Amino acid sequence: MTRPDAQVAPPPADLELPEELAIDTGVAKRIITEFIRAQLRQAGFERAVLALSGGIDSALVAFLVADAIGAESLLCVLMPYRTSSPESRTDAQAVVELLGCASTLVDISPMVDGYFGTDRGDPTTLRRGNLAARMRMAVLYDHSVTWGGLAVGTGNKTEGLIGYTTIFGDAACAFAPIGDLYKSQVRQLARVVGVPDTILAKRPSADLWAGQTDEDEMGLRYRDLDRLLFWMIDRRRSPAELTELGFEPAVVDRVARMVAAAEFKRQVPPIAKLGPRTAGVDYLYPRRRPGSERR
Amino acid sequence: MTAAPSPFGRRYTREVEPLRIALVQMAPRLGLLDENLEHTHQWLAQARRDGAGLVVFPELALTGYLLQDLNADVAMRVDDPRLLALAGDTEGLSAVVGFVEESEDHRLFISAALLEDGELRHVHRKVFLANYGLFDERRFFAAGSVIRAVSSRLGVRLGICSCEDFWHLATPALLALDGAQLLINISSSPGRDVAAVNEVGLGTASSWRWMDRTYAQLTTSYVVFVNRVGVEESITFWGGSEVIGPAGDTRFSAPLHDEGLFLVDIDLGDVRRERIALPLLRDERPELLLRQLERLIRERAAEDPLGRSAAEPAAWEPEAEPVL
Repeated sequence: MTRPDAQVAPPPADLELPEELAIDTGVAKRIITEFIRAQLRQAGFERAVLALSGGIDSALVAFLVADAIGAESLLCVLMPYRTSSPESRTDAQAVVELLGCASTLVDISPMVDGYFGTDRGDPTTLRRGNLAARMRMAVLYDHSVTWGGLAVGTGNKTEGLIGYTTIFGDAACAFAPIGDLYKSQVRQLARVVGVPDTILAKRPSADLWAGQTDEDEMGLRYRDLDRLLFWMIDRRRSPAELTELGFEPAVVDRVARMVAAAEFKRQVPPIAKLGPRTAGVDYLYPRRRPGSERR
Repeated sequence: MTAAPSPFGRRYTREVEPLRIALVQMAPRLGLLDENLEHTHQWLAQARRDGAGLVVFPELALTGYLLQDLNADVAMRVDDPRLLALAGDTEGLSAVVGFVEESEDHRLFISAALLEDGELRHVHRKVFLANYGLFDERRFFAAGSVIRAVSSRLGVRLGICSCEDFWHLATPALLALDGAQLLINISSSPGRDVAAVNEVGLGTASSWRWMDRTYAQLTTSYVVFVNRVGVEESITFWGGSEVIGPAGDTRFSAPLHDEGLFLVDIDLGDVRRERIALPLLRDERPELLLRQLERLIRERAAEDPLGRSAAEPAAWEPEAEPVL
């Protein structure tokens, strides 16, 4: 059976994969599925939970987790807010139906609105967005207990590097299968594993209000941002060299600042060193070691 | 294959010297020494049933790789009964096994043991510890200081080394000059760089494949590369174990990421044929290498960070002709 590719409109040119970012999807998928299985096994778990938004990142992770451990071991938690787009929910439900995994829906509006209420002024979009992300995290970790599964992260490399994440919100997870894939590579892999075309074709969005897109908010196209980050981080090019490669100096400067400013989101908070052995400083163990698995 | 070695460790090479090698591309469990020992006994038994004469396990097969402060917990001295029990399984066999070795003075090494006919015959301590990028070996381990080939019950000398050792040209060069006809590299190589342009889809695999073929050709030796599989923390070990013939020709490539025991039949007589046809080792000039290395070491010792030329005259001294 062949897929009816002919009926699918090609993606807009700026969603296409930059040549230097193209990955071997077969090897990447194998490494990620091995990684997912190992993380669960080493922690003493057989099941997983994840927050399914209807976007491409969580859809891809859902497909990869289902492939690694079986759809029957996966619980997708849909957590819309009252301003979330109805299409997001439809797209998320399509993923659940395609995979045949368990799902549950938790409307987080009462949690977020209940906190802000009427006496906390008019919260900024940032505050509301961060609180929504942290309420989703709290709900997801509660389901981690009821489902008996580890919380799988759905963050990608691009957003992790520039800090387009909420610390202890969407960034919170037990492990991050696609955290080393740029957004363009996420799309390349998502296409291969069977993520629906409607999800592949739409513009990435944090879905905090109608018509919001990541790219408008960042003022950058993912295609350009991914290429810039790749040359800056992975290929270690200096700002002067990046300019020679054709990147705008002002953009290089801005993105470099975003990356530096987000360093704290990517690391464990420092502990004031006082004793002879301090976790993370001179008490160094793998996260998963003999005796660490759940019993 | 089971003929007793001569007192010199060598015997005259027959035209056909068949050897069955078992590549044990396993996934050690991190820090679980007893479990890994048990698995190693089982793999050895399977290799014996399969008729292997040489069984090669990965680096740190008995302990796993990302040990950090677990390193001392899983260390064994060379007289450790558990290691000797493993040797006890090698009657009529040769086996190379990676483990954490604790010396008498309590230094910890990433070591490879050669077990033969019930005995621990040789230990190679990893000389070049990887300490860059994702590697942090030097923080947790001492570096070995000997690179030498070892005679074997197989009738040829073996050149045993560990992972990063192969990323330094001196290792295959010295082992071949020391008479090795089989270079054995045991590895815990983490896969990275999945760029689509890489051979077999993985940058690390491409690099190792280039290296194994090049060393086999330049040393006119067999190269046996055994890399582990499995996942520890962020990293996935990629397997892809190989046997390369003395002309740089691929004899066997194990699949990436699959755990398993893979059997490869080789003819040790191919080393002789290749070396007669292509006498690269005959034409090596160790005395020249030594003189030039001594000069380089002298010059480096006198190196001035400000670049002044006090040390330079030494470079202009005419080289003494070798006395042969």
